[in-house]
Amino acid sequence: MPEAQPLLRVENLVTRFKSVERSKWISAVDDVSITLAPGEMVGLVGESGCGKSTLGRTIVGLERPQSGRILLDGVDLSTLRGAELRRRRRAIQYVFQDPYASLNDRQTIGEAIAEALIIMGISDPAEQRRRIRTLLDQVGLPDALAERYPRELSGGQRQRVAIARSLAVEPRVLICDEPVSALDLSIRAQVMNLFLRLHKDLGVACLFIAHDLALVRQATSRTYVMYLGKIIEEATSAELYARPSHPYSKALLGSIPSADPRIEVTREPPEIFGDIPSPTNPPSGCRFRTRCPHAAEVCASAVPPLVALSPSHQAGCVLAEKFYAESAAQPLPHPAPAPRDIQTMHAR
Amino acid sequence: MTGALLQVRNLTVDLFTARTALRPVDGVSYSVQSGETLAIVGESGSGKTVSNFAPLGLMPTGVVADIHGSILFDGTELVGMPEKQLRRIRGGGIGTIFQDPMSALNPALRVGRQIAEVGELHLGLTSMQAEARALELLKLVRMSDPEARLRQYPHELSGGLRQRAMIAIAIAGEPKLLVADEPTTALDVTVQAQIIALLKDLQQRLNMAIVLITHDMGVVAGTASKVVVMYAGRVAEYGTAEQVLLEPRHPYTQGLIAALPLPEDPPGSPFRGLPGAPPILGAPVKACAFASRCPLVLENCTKAVPQLLSISGVSATACHVVNASRLKEPANA
Repeated sequence: MPEAQPLLRVENLVTRFKSVERSKWISAVDDVSITLAPGEMVGLVGESGCGKSTLGRTIVGLERPQSGRILLDGVDLSTLRGAELRRRRRAIQYVFQDPYASLNDRQTIGEAIAEALIIMGISDPAEQRRRIRTLLDQVGLPDALAERYPRELSGGQRQRVAIARSLAVEPRVLICDEPVSALDLSIRAQVMNLFLRLHKDLGVACLFIAHDLALVRQATSRTYVMYLGKIIEEATSAELYARPSHPYSKALLGSIPSADPRIEVTREPPEIFGDIPSPTNPPSGCRFRTRCPHAAEVCASAVPPLVALSPSHQAGCVLAEKFYAESAAQPLPHPAPAPRDIQTMHAR
Repeated sequence: MTGALLQVRNLTVDLFTARTALRPVDGVSYSVQSGETLAIVGESGSGKTVSNFAPLGLMPTGVVADIHGSILFDGTELVGMPEKQLRRIRGGGIGTIFQDPMSALNPALRVGRQIAEVGELHLGLTSMQAEARALELLKLVRMSDPEARLRQYPHELSGGLRQRAMIAIAIAGEPKLLVADEPTTALDVTVQAQIIALLKDLQQRLNMAIVLITHDMGVVAGTASKVVVMYAGRVAEYGTAEQVLLEPRHPYTQGLIAALPLPEDPPGSPFRGLPGAPPILGAPVKACAFASRCPLVLENCTKAVPQLLSISGVSATACHVVNASRLKEPANA
């Protein structure tokens, strides 16, 4: 847990959408609280439809929350209006998943970045050109690209442009929504390393929204696991991957296939049933109980509160302490366990 | 290699659109025995999809495909086969699963009808028989509440259920070969594991061969017995899954496998990857397409196309450097 005042604090956030069915609502984000310390890399993982993108979009103001607060530097953004809100909110920027959709086809790369610079109040063309050069250089692109159109660029280059554009307004938080999942395998590492470098050089904090768990583990120091609109587990990334204490996190981690056929031969399927239920009508009590192999009667009656397992680890399951204790009984190789260990934990 | 169910030899595909000519597949050969799984691995634009779908006549309208080489499926030559005959094979002898089940299913037809259609067309069933069979198939793909699902439309199903419906359609014609193009890419990891388990189970029960097109090495490791690694329309490496995944020989395969994050990598450590970008499709290159990204590159690599040379057993590599070190005489293109 960060000691200092968090840069970004989200408190009991609820974002609802109107359902196609009359007078029904879908709570895509339901009572979610997260924090982000200055310069921290935090992961947010979960299946599609769990509300992780909606949470990110609500934080940057692309969706309007139903209730709850978003505090930036301790200031509640909902209390601000007009120019003051725009100025404050500039510190949070979004990097979208699909760089083919997030850039305007009819703008050159330079024009796209210049737009962001104008918002920053940089209107002098010479100064703009200088800044565009610096920004392109920061994301590892040649200057010449400023004259090109997005269609002339590869997916990896486009994503770099999108990142450069976000950086133009000197943000302190980047919300990255699946920033590499649309990219080819061999370029993912290049873009991920760019994030790591920006984090190191500029001290930008990142909220990494992703479904690729291996990627999140390596990139972030802390991870939130989300299921059907709720945070169900939070821990330092190393601990979450070594000692997942919510059955959903365990299943999620147990589902990552290994590239070693010798491991795959003996692999047990993860302990999870079916698909994610519809958020229109979520299960009562624990939302995971319909897919959980450990579900008991108690799970249906009330939403299990987050149980603190260690100062930096919480899980919302009535059996969390049992799972946590069990994982300690396993030999914990340092620095992190091999996938085999996670799997044997499942097999039991 | 006479027992092979599918024997692809020197397959080359040229695509002509109104504006451009491309060669996405250039001299590809592989074979699949009945009941086995062959994985074709590669990045976007490597030709892995086109090499499988162009010969089946599955290409976007407006694109003219010029196919050379030979594809023997169950003793029948598919290259140059008239469309009328090809129709019988497509969906009959060869079933297909596509990446995105939402765009592959007909949104205006109930799931049951779409499955029954295949039985009527390929097995000559009456519509009553075909509907009954559709129900059986939904049970076979372990769909929950199959009676209700028959009457639902694709938009009413979740991603995992849609992919199960897609699989039911693909196996409805009792195919000997299933071509699965990224069957789990659009799905979540938990659902992916279920679909892979289902495909493996169906393969055993129906004795189907599977050609699995994917970029996920984890999926390959869990399913395939043989692997083809494609790069820029050519086969870079070919071998058993164990050999390709555990002892990759081609520098591209090595790079791809090394790029996978490992549980041992500490948080915050840099990601391993390949430098540069995958090649853009276009005219065939008279050199090794991987040369510009290759750590082992030699002068010869930019001058001649490396031949796919077999090393031992089924494994083969198309790399000047690897082949030169393995053979007494250097490989010349």
